[in-house]
Amino acid sequence: MVKGLKSLIHPVILQLMQDRESQLHPIEKSLLKTLASNRPMSVENLSELTGLNVDQVRRGIEWLKYKGLISVNAKSITKISIGKNGLYALENRFPERRLVELVKQGFNTMQKLSNVGVFHDNNESTAAFRHAVYLNKWLHQSPPSKPGDDATLVTLPGSDEASPEEALLMKIHMASAMSQDQVSSLSQEELRALNSLKNRHFIVEHTDKVSEIILSDKGRRLLTLLKLDNERLQDEAEQHLVNQLTPQLIASGRWKDVRFSPLDVEAPTTSLHAGKKHPLQNLIDEIKEVFIGMGFLEIDGPLIQSSFWNFDVLFTPQDHPAREMQDTFYIPQTYQTIPTKDRNIIDSVSRVHKKGWHYEWDPEESKRTVLRTHTTPVTLRYLSSNKTADAKLFTVGKVFRNEKASYKHLVEFNQIEGIVTGNSVTLRDLMGLQMEFYSKLGINKVKFWPTFFPYTEPSLQSMIFNESLGKWVELFGMGVFRPEVTEPLGIRNPVLAWGGGIERIAMLRFGLNDVRDLYSNNLGWLRSVPRYQS
Amino acid sequence: MRALKGLLGIEVGLPKFKLSTNNKYVIRVNKSVKQLRPYIVSFVASRKENLTNEDIKELIAMQEDLHNGVGRHRRKASIGIHNLDKIQFPLTYTTTEKNFSFVPLDRQNEYTMKQILDELDSGKEYGFILKDAERYPIIIDSNNIVLSFPPIVNSNTTRLGADIKNILVEVTAINKHTAEDTIAIIAINLFDAGFKIHPVIIDYTKPRNKELTPNMKPKIMQIDAGYINQVLGMNLTSQEISLCLKRSRLGSSLEPLKRARLKCSIPRYRTDIYNQIDIVEEAAIGYGIFNLQPSMPCSKASGTKSEITKLLNAIREILIGMGLVEIINFSLVSKKVQFELVGAESNIKNAISVDETKSNEYEVLRDTLIPSLLQTLSHNVHEEYPQKLFEIGKVFQTSDSLDEHWNVGVVIAHNSANYTGAKSTMQEIINGCFGPKYASAISTPAVYNGMFMDGRCANIDFNEMNIGIMGEISPLTVQNFKLRVPVAAIELNISSFLEK
Repeated sequence: MVKGLKSLIHPVILQLMQDRESQLHPIEKSLLKTLASNRPMSVENLSELTGLNVDQVRRGIEWLKYKGLISVNAKSITKISIGKNGLYALENRFPERRLVELVKQGFNTMQKLSNVGVFHDNNESTAAFRHAVYLNKWLHQSPPSKPGDDATLVTLPGSDEASPEEALLMKIHMASAMSQDQVSSLSQEELRALNSLKNRHFIVEHTDKVSEIILSDKGRRLLTLLKLDNERLQDEAEQHLVNQLTPQLIASGRWKDVRFSPLDVEAPTTSLHAGKKHPLQNLIDEIKEVFIGMGFLEIDGPLIQSSFWNFDVLFTPQDHPAREMQDTFYIPQTYQTIPTKDRNIIDSVSRVHKKGWHYEWDPEESKRTVLRTHTTPVTLRYLSSNKTADAKLFTVGKVFRNEKASYKHLVEFNQIEGIVTGNSVTLRDLMGLQMEFYSKLGINKVKFWPTFFPYTEPSLQSMIFNESLGKWVELFGMGVFRPEVTEPLGIRNPVLAWGGGIERIAMLRFGLNDVRDLYSNNLGWLRSVPRYQS
Repeated sequence: MRALKGLLGIEVGLPKFKLSTNNKYVIRVNKSVKQLRPYIVSFVASRKENLTNEDIKELIAMQEDLHNGVGRHRRKASIGIHNLDKIQFPLTYTTTEKNFSFVPLDRQNEYTMKQILDELDSGKEYGFILKDAERYPIIIDSNNIVLSFPPIVNSNTTRLGADIKNILVEVTAINKHTAEDTIAIIAINLFDAGFKIHPVIIDYTKPRNKELTPNMKPKIMQIDAGYINQVLGMNLTSQEISLCLKRSRLGSSLEPLKRARLKCSIPRYRTDIYNQIDIVEEAAIGYGIFNLQPSMPCSKASGTKSEITKLLNAIREILIGMGLVEIINFSLVSKKVQFELVGAESNIKNAISVDETKSNEYEVLRDTLIPSLLQTLSHNVHEEYPQKLFEIGKVFQTSDSLDEHWNVGVVIAHNSANYTGAKSTMQEIINGCFGPKYASAISTPAVYNGMFMDGRCANIDFNEMNIGIMGEISPLTVQNFKLRVPVAAIELNISSFLEK
């Protein structure tokens, strides 16, 4: 049973610890400490006891109330204070007192008294007689010695003592006011006097609205827990205050006897940096996922290629400007032989070049080594050697251009290429695949434009609408490989292809204006790019 | 403009072109040009209004485009445009001695052919085309006035000016096909600009060998409607396709007996159309790319990552798990960073360099990743430490043949970076990716390498085959990269694990 309770309570406390501890403001701590006495307090009380100004206290109270650590009861407090008549009485003494004094001075008949004129009206004189003679028993009215004479007033022994009314009025005067609490502690006699004073309009009652603040149960539990109570805190300071829980403390069980010093939980700490993928690699991975989701098989291949596979197979004539050194990186080590096992391919390539471009195709030129200028040598070589009638392939990798690097051009960049072949694939399918591909990358506004590429026909350029730039941006090119490309390689079915550089997408995604920033490896940037971008 | 009229349906089918019947212009060809630049084609263009400066600018722009494109920097074909009024027919296309001289375009004095090649800008730029020639080609008129020294420069005498109505266009080329392509494009453009086009007879001196140029006869090609529909994914009738082709400014008619077969005439200047597939594209453009509705092929294929992607991702994951940040550098690097700063000058001779790079930042293909990683550290000295970076990239080597494979490089830089840290990291790469069986096959014999501190560098061997290196970077290298903290580094050949 006890155990059950413990396990019930414990999480609550834990929760409190976790929720509240780190959130307590110094003002809140100070208020809680003051409220630890469990006495209800007003804002003024708290201000006085904590040394905080009233505004601070009010703010603190709002916070604590919101957290449920205190309860605030709005109370109407009735107070008694001295009224106008009372003040007059204090200044000039009570009418009955003045009467007694006059009697002592020899004005002991009604006749004599009426000539003095110390009562400003009949009401006052009536009240004076009533209180002095009947209620306080300060005076005795002796019957006249002979008829027709006034009765004579004689002082009685009690006349030197203050009446309960006098005493009470003085008491209220000293305290400047009397609360309901104080009223409830009055004696019967005093209560009667109070009523009398009230009836005589010497005192007035008025009601104040005040807030009364007390700790809630939750607040009390938290306080116990945080040991914000002053005395106990001090005790503990004198005991063992420990900074860090250590394996030794755990093993020895001594943690039970020590107290752990509270930390300034709001203090800044040193920053920590997560290990991360390069943002561009994230994009590459995302694109690979899109391809795979669309049922494409990933292939890869070397960056170093022969001119044969990079250009000749793609029906790019040997004197084409794109093959010149000012556009393409050549490596001095050339291939010994054209890298293909199938001699027929070389002959067929030679034939289509001669027929299409009217020149003598030179096998030596195709042995030159290049850094691939596109990924197509990889995809075409795969199609040529696998002879698959149907295939969906993709590849992602570096390509090279012998250019001067600028804010929009790189010497080395990543290109993607998607390939679909099958006996009934069409240009419309290529457009559909492209729309699908873009939509999976979150791009939905796409249009197509006829364009020219030397090795595809028909060829289209796709453009996407970039919302943040507010304009259409050219993206991937696409087309159906020309028969001059596919036939020499023994590919019978139409081959749809699309692709292009992905750095442009990365620039749009990461808001870069200079493509070189993607490769500058600025650690500040790498650490700050959010991993998740919807 | 011609194309636009077609697409808007204002004017469809073969564009108008008319060659005048005038045949008084003749160019004789001397057989000495045969080994050099055997073909010439030409026409005369005339109109009532003078050429404006704007016209001349456009003509020259077109000439330059053709020189660089079809003409392959004038090697295959070059164009001369002349003031007809300065010329007396017949002309002769022949060759001359190297010391023959005339006043070239924009000059006052005569230059010999040799001087032109050695001194003028166009001579220096295009002289290579004639580099083995013993005599040089020249076009002269019947008064021996020089028109042109193809493919280098025109003469100043026949230059164009703003007060000209009649011009002569000539194209010399190394093959007939290119010559005809080029002249056809110029002819149609001048015709559209309001010129009358008069043919020129090319007389190859043998009696039978006379040609009327320009040859503007359309090419005839036949194509099946079914083929066009198949490529585009459409189901158009032959009539509809025929209309699309006409909108693309081709001539098109249905074969009388085989209605599914179209007979297309292709204007001579449409040099981009030479295969049936080119007609398919014309049909698509005539139909309107915007009107093609995207569709999806059905296919049962399921997607798969390549093996190397799976492996690289595994390594990446392990390294990121150890708190490393990925960076990406280029494969092409400078010799300075790759060799000099890391004390590996002796390897420069084995470097794979690229020809004619435009910047020495991209001189050689890197053979190791660590130098690039050190350079990245060097760019980030102002960033918070520790800095733990990795890169996965291709490296390139040459021995018998060119080799490229995937490496992973790691650098760890902070106040107490050391060999032990590098070794632990390396072990976890192997253990985390391939398991304890592989990890236990790793040995780390000491090795000397200039980049590393002596005595704090080891080879990474897998079953006694070297697959990498690691250690503390030598203080000299640290200093060379202007770093202020110690650095430990690892480099591992990843591709070697694919083969296992």
